[in-house]
Order: sequence, then structure tokens, then C-alpha cells
Amino acid sequence: MRIKGIAVAGGIAFGQAKVVTPYHSQLDYHLIPPAQLGIEQARLDKALASLIQQIKHSAQHLDPNSEHYQLIEADLLLLEDADLQAELRAAITEQQFSAALAVEHTFAKQAQALQAMDSPYLASRSDDILALGQRVITTLLTGKCSTLTELPRNSIVIAKDITPAEFALLPLENLAGLVLQTGGITSHSAILARSFDIPTLVGCECNLNDIVDGTPVAIDTLNGLLFIDPDAEQVAQLTLAQQQTLRRKTELLKFKDHPTQTSDGHPIALLANVGCISEINHLSSVGGEGVGLFRTEFMLMNRQQLPDEQQQYQLYCDALQLLNGRILTIRTIDIGADKEVPALAMPVEENPALGLRGVRYTLAHPQLFCVQLKAILRAANQGPIRLMFPMVNQVEELETILALIEQCKTELIEQEKGYGPLSMGIVVETPAAVLNLASMLPLLDFISIGTNDLTQYTMAADRGNPELIKRYPVLSPALIKLISQTINQAHAAKVTVSLCGELASNPRATALLVGLGIDELSVSVAALLEIKQELSRWTYIECVELAQHAKVISRIETLNELLTCCHS
Amino acid sequence: MYQRTVTILAEHGIHTRPAALLVKAAKQYDCDILVECQGKQASAKSLFKLQTLGLYKGVSVTVTADGEQAQQAVEHVSELLITLS
Repeated sequence: MRIKGIAVAGGIAFGQAKVVTPYHSQLDYHLIPPAQLGIEQARLDKALASLIQQIKHSAQHLDPNSEHYQLIEADLLLLEDADLQAELRAAITEQQFSAALAVEHTFAKQAQALQAMDSPYLASRSDDILALGQRVITTLLTGKCSTLTELPRNSIVIAKDITPAEFALLPLENLAGLVLQTGGITSHSAILARSFDIPTLVGCECNLNDIVDGTPVAIDTLNGLLFIDPDAEQVAQLTLAQQQTLRRKTELLKFKDHPTQTSDGHPIALLANVGCISEINHLSSVGGEGVGLFRTEFMLMNRQQLPDEQQQYQLYCDALQLLNGRILTIRTIDIGADKEVPALAMPVEENPALGLRGVRYTLAHPQLFCVQLKAILRAANQGPIRLMFPMVNQVEELETILALIEQCKTELIEQEKGYGPLSMGIVVETPAAVLNLASMLPLLDFISIGTNDLTQYTMAADRGNPELIKRYPVLSPALIKLISQTINQAHAAKVTVSLCGELASNPRATALLVGLGIDELSVSVAALLEIKQELSRWTYIECVELAQHAKVISRIETLNELLTCCHS
Repeated sequence: MYQRTVTILAEHGIHTRPAALLVKAAKQYDCDILVECQGKQASAKSLFKLQTLGLYKGVSVTVTADGEQAQQAVEHVSELLITLS
């Protein structure tokens, strides 16, 4: 069986299906007849025992002093808790609940009690409780206690969606590929998959109930296809394609030490988007010129406690050391919207994409913000750092941030810690930022266009919705106008323009962006060499002509045809 | 019966991980150990109940135990309440 999806990250993968079914399967809300309550009780005991056993097994290989192990141990203590088990039993015998309903009810009540805590830190633990409850329910309903932390070797995970936090738990060495029903190529799980170069399809309309765990599956990201139980002929074709992909990778490696420029020598700075130290480590092997976007919020995910100033300082110093004099562009914590952080109490918002995210969140929590700013200011003594702020719309916001930085500097002097020079920038990711750019440019050294959010906010189209992503691609006339306007204004003010959205990693867009006047591209590590090669195929004049042509196109389809025609 | 009152010093209070360490320590003792905080009570051996006590920074907590090793148990749990973070 062949199913279409949107290809995210590169290559062909073979593996065995590992289906992650949503835990919100239908719960039965009927009251259980008294005679059957004993059966429910026994089912509960059995599920708890098997989950406990499975968790113990999964913790075996972990270092007992690690945070991960201690959190797993906390889960165990809860499941074995006599008080908790008494409440579950009471819910079954006194309220005539089924075992699953008793678990849902009891864990939800506990989560509510935690949510009501005065300390946001303690309140944020309520999600962990709900997640544990859901694991018990899954065990009860399916008889299996599947978790993402344990994957058989060579697994292709097929799920409705994976949160970035869940992604971080996946044992990547056993993950051959990823297939998601939801999401677009700019969803955060997709970004993570791409940066780790895991073959991934999103927006894939497969029926999770039709796929049995262990079924052989294959992913072909060249054609955006998922194969379930492929036949011999398909396997042969895919194997051939896989070999070609490998050859192509080898071919690309030749570009590692080439300068990033057009065939007639117009230079472009080619930087990388990274979320962790291991990606920076990987950068030298593909000849990256520095980091154009360090997503610092990823260091917070799956942590129970925010790293303090010293820990963050150490992290940035490590990054600078690995970069060895090359530039490090740090984006301050960008949480909210689809990026949740377990260590922080996030308000529940009806419309998080339009809510308290980016600097809106950090400015509302200056204590949290200042810890990061101080760590960055101190690290700036160790190497070149550019600092940029997400979701800035107004010059007042920028002024508040800059005043906060001055305040941090004063405090650092008082504490005799010292600090280094920083270049300042913002991420241009809303139409308002483009329209208000003139007032902000005098305060800035550089700007970076975030095309994923700029598209979402310009088109009013959720980037997690596959239907809308097809209809409103990033490469569209409106976006080209906004990018062009941004570059022209910035250049008039002698401010460098970078582009760090997923568009930068798309070789189809390279010549166009260069022609529009972009100074820097910041791309995923996996796409770096391909962009370098693409740029070397064009002269600068050809890029400019292409851009002039593209700027007057009004239809998405015509724009697509133009770019396809350039690439054939 | 043996009793001791201490104040929580940990910046984030006694959240899941330190609470788990405390429960593990309490389980080494046969006697019942009660933790009382802001009018609510929990067994020191129940993470489920301890979680909802609200063991924030600055609150005062009373630890009580009765029976064999009561004094040792109370001292052990109290020390952890002060030092864990």
C-alpha cells in the first residue's frame, strides 16, 4: 500500500512500523454493575503491575544519578503509592467507575490540585501527572504499555503528532524514520527531524488502526510516499534510490571547503540553524560558517528545572568554543505557541500562536529573561555573539529589551562578573515588524527574517494545518513582497539581513533570495551543502533577473512554474 | 511521639524529584511518618499526597512519627526537607 505525505527530511528509510495510538481512545462512561466491580479492580491491579514492571525494565540502562532516572523513579513511586491506590479503589467501588475511568478521574483531580498551587513551578507538574495517568489508561485499554522511550531497532514511528518534548525522548539510534498525520514542513517536530536528518513525512493520511506494529514499512522522501508492507519490486526500486541518495551525499561533500558564492564570486554568508550543542559539533563537517540561529528554548524542553545563569553561561561558552571564532547568533527563549516547556508554567491560551509568545512571554517574566541575558552578556567575552529577539513588533518593545540589557550590565558590574560586546537584532516574523522596521532599524545591527511565522501571520494560516500549508506555501507573492521590502529598508539603513526560516533551506528559493538582496542564509545543518551547491550554479546577474521577474508575479502557481523551470 | 518543625529553603520548593527522594528515605523506616503543612497532612511515604501539600519555599513543615526509630526517622526526613532542592 502506498500513501502520500509531505516530505520533510531527506532520504529513503526501511524499518518496522511502530504505531503510536492516541491515548484518548473512547472511555466508557457507563456505571459498572456492582457485581462486576471486582473485575475492574483486578484489571486495574494487573495494569498497574505490568506498567510498573515495564517502567522498571526501561530504567535499567539509565544512570541512577541522572535526572531522567530520578523522574522515572518518581513515576514508579506514584504508581506504587498506597494512598493513590486507595483512591483508585474507592473510585471503582464507591462511584462504580470502570478502571480506566477511575484512573482518569483520580489523576485529573490530582492534576487540578497541583494546578491550583501558588508556585507556578509546582503547578507545572500537573502535566506530568496527566501524562502518567494516560499511560495507565493506555495500558488498561490496550493491554500494552507502549512508550516512545523504548523503540525496537530500526523503527519507523507512525503517529498522529509528536511534540518536541516527546521527540527529545525518542532513542534516535533506533529511529529509522518518522511519519506524522498532522503538521507541515515547518512544524517543530519537522524541524527537529530535519536537523537530525531523520527521513520524515508529515501530513500523511494513513489510518493508524490499519497498521500493525512490526509491519515492514518504507519512507521515500524524494517522492513523499509511505509504503506499508512494500512488495519485492518496490523494495528493489527504493534500494536503488537509496544508493543514489548516498552517492549524492558523497558528491555534495566536495562542496565542504568551497566558499559560499555565486559562480561569478558574489559572496553570501551561509550559517546554520541549531537547537543543541551536538548540532554545532556537526557543523564543521559540512563547512558551516557559524550559527545563524541558536534556538535556546530547546535547552529547556524535558527539563524539570530551568538552567541557571551559570549553567547557561557554560552552555554558550561551550558553543563558542566549538565554533572557534565563528559567529554565534542566539535567539532568546522563544516559547509559547506550539513549544511548551514543562519547567515553566505556561498560561493556557485559546489561541497560543497569537498569544504570549517570544519576547511577549520573556518581557512578562523579566527575572527569567535577565538570567538568560546575563549569561549571554558574560559569554560574549569568550567569542563573537549576536543576540536576537523573537516576536518584536514595536519599537517600544525593543527599547524595553535594550533597557533591560543595560540594567543587566550594571548588575554584572556590581557582581564583578564583566561582560562582552553584543550585536543586536530582531527576528522579523510578523507583518507589523516589516511595517514598523524604519523605527527599529536605528537600534539594530542586523535582522533575521523568520519566514515560517511571517507566512503564518501574513496568510492567517496555521502552520500546523496540512490543508492550509498546501494552499498557502511560504513561496508566495505576498511573502516575496514582504521579504523584498524588508531587505530594501534594512540596506538603506546599512543593516545586515539574514533569513533563518525553512525557506532558506529550500534550494528552489536560493537564487531568488540572493537576487532579492539577502546577505546571509541560515539553514538546517543537513541542507547546508545542497544550498552551497545550488548557489554555485548561478551568476549574481541571473539571480537578480530571476528576482525581478518573480516580484511581479501575482499567482502562486505561476511563481512555482518559474522556479521549477529554473531547476529543470 | 517525636516531632520537629522545619522551614523549606529550596528555591522551587519540594517538587517531584526531591519529593521522590524524600519518599524513598521515609520508606526505609517501619514507623508511620506524618508531614503537616498549612493545615494539610500527608504520609511521608506517599508521593501522591506529598505533592499536593504545597511545600513551597519559606513554608513551615512539621514532621511527626511514633514508634520504633521515630526520632531517627523524623530527623532524617526533616534534614531532607531542609536540604533537598
